[in-house]
Amino acid sequence: MKILLAGRISEVAELTGFIAPISSTADIHALIFGKPGEDEIRSLSVSKAIVAENADPSYADDVVEALKAVLGKEVYDYIVLVATRINKEAGARVAQTIGAPAITEAIGVRLEDGSPVFIRSVMAGKAISKETLSSPAVIMVAPGRNKPVDTGKRVGEIQRISISGKRSVEIIERKGKERKGVRVEDAEIIVSVGRGFKSKEDLSMAFKLAELIGAQVGCSRPIAADLKWLSEEHWIGLSGKKVRPKLYIAIGISGQPQHLAGIMDSKIIVAINKDPGAPIFKYSDYGVVEDLYVFIPKLMEKLSTRQK
Amino acid sequence: MNIAVLVKLSVDTSYMRLDQNNRVLFSEIPLKVSDIDRNAVEEALRIKQQGLANKISSFSVLTWGSSDKRVSEAQNLLREILAMGVDESYLYVDPGFVYSHLYTAKILARMIRKAGDYSLILAGEASIDGYSSQVPCRVAEELGIPCVSYARRIEVKEGKVIVERDLEDSVEVVGVKLPAVVSVTREINTPRLPTLLQIRAAMRKPVNIIKASDIGLEPMKKIHEFVAEGVKIQRKGVIIEGKTVDEKIEKLLEALAKEGITLYRG
Repeated sequence: MKILLAGRISEVAELTGFIAPISSTADIHALIFGKPGEDEIRSLSVSKAIVAENADPSYADDVVEALKAVLGKEVYDYIVLVATRINKEAGARVAQTIGAPAITEAIGVRLEDGSPVFIRSVMAGKAISKETLSSPAVIMVAPGRNKPVDTGKRVGEIQRISISGKRSVEIIERKGKERKGVRVEDAEIIVSVGRGFKSKEDLSMAFKLAELIGAQVGCSRPIAADLKWLSEEHWIGLSGKKVRPKLYIAIGISGQPQHLAGIMDSKIIVAINKDPGAPIFKYSDYGVVEDLYVFIPKLMEKLSTRQK
Repeated sequence: MNIAVLVKLSVDTSYMRLDQNNRVLFSEIPLKVSDIDRNAVEEALRIKQQGLANKISSFSVLTWGSSDKRVSEAQNLLREILAMGVDESYLYVDPGFVYSHLYTAKILARMIRKAGDYSLILAGEASIDGYSSQVPCRVAEELGIPCVSYARRIEVKEGKVIVERDLEDSVEVVGVKLPAVVSVTREINTPRLPTLLQIRAAMRKPVNIIKASDIGLEPMKKIHEFVAEGVKIQRKGVIIEGKTVDEKIEKLLEALAKEGITLYRG
């Protein structure tokens, strides 16, 4: 089995973790975009590194061109990328060109009777799909779930390629998103807010609670996308961030399937909602039927007296 | 210019059915127009209203079975988007269809080519059932034209399309020459709800059924197989009862302490 891991060097390192369960007998090569140092390249657990120095992975066109160049010379069973938005475009295009199946947002892989079976979430998080693909296939891996793994393989050969850099898409402007250092995807505790809050100002209660217990503030889709009370970095769900905290406190969130899909990996889920029929209670470990405007101040009062 | 919209007839995730072995029974789940594809339809209608498009056609592949029941279900759903204002629909029905995004994209590309001259092809960023985000860019590759995904604003001008697209850490404004494929996010607009009159008028608009022989497709092979199982909810589902808020809070904190979680710093 031959596997090609493609991406920025940090992404390739992450991918070595994803494919670890199937890598023992596989020959693993890396296609690296950009100009990493030789030491960095040699620290990867792969047997061959191909470096596309002039490929800018923020352009799907560059990723596609570099992949096509490599795949034109060598045949791989699996071409593996991190499922960033740009890579999802590139992966789909490359798969179509080589006549291959592909999967998006793979969350795991294991060998069954010698063949890799890939795992992904479907039906808005309500089902897990086990998928087998004929080779060659393109695998796009859910970001941020894997750490580099040393499988004992060492870089024997470093090859350099260059691409024409011809692009079909012209970037006119690129604006960084407003970042206030919020990373709900890394948080241990999340206080998450939904439509139960009546105004933007009222969210300050949630922020105070979060500060008190060392949590980050998350939110459901309407708060970020429709009302725009919070920036998108707080948005948790199928189209927002997927989180995996130790404790997820959903306050005033009804529990739409798209939101639930983003919180499935939480260890403990607590729901506060005044509507006893809110679907979120079925997907929680502990539920409190209570008006959040009564509950939060009382909880904070109790916690601050405990702290003293 | 004409606009093509890719419309997936997804299984409705709100009505998931499982068999005795906990496997998802896709054949028994009702279909719906995939939510984000409605945003794509809406965007096409807005471009037409600006006087920038003549005709809007929708293209769908029946991927979840091709029984007569499925076909009539699909036709009814396509009437919803015809009622929104789409001029005509094309629906691919093939008992020999084999699941794979590769084939879906090939079929869509051939249907579009055969149906006419389309400068802009719109689609939702993903379908609600599989959420794979593969088909729009695969269709672009098949047609040999550019693909821009995750659009939250689109402007058509002078043979180009300017797209504001939403990436993880940035928002990009990009320009591509037409023809091109653009996939949109939910944030781009709010899809209109057709009036009763429009729904009635839509009965007269055509839903063209396309067969394998119409587009000359080579036989499809099994290249992508899957088994989906329902996720068992392993949550405790405990509702904390109590006469007062204070009591409920005490009980909640106790329960969390037993889980090894203390709710204050220090």
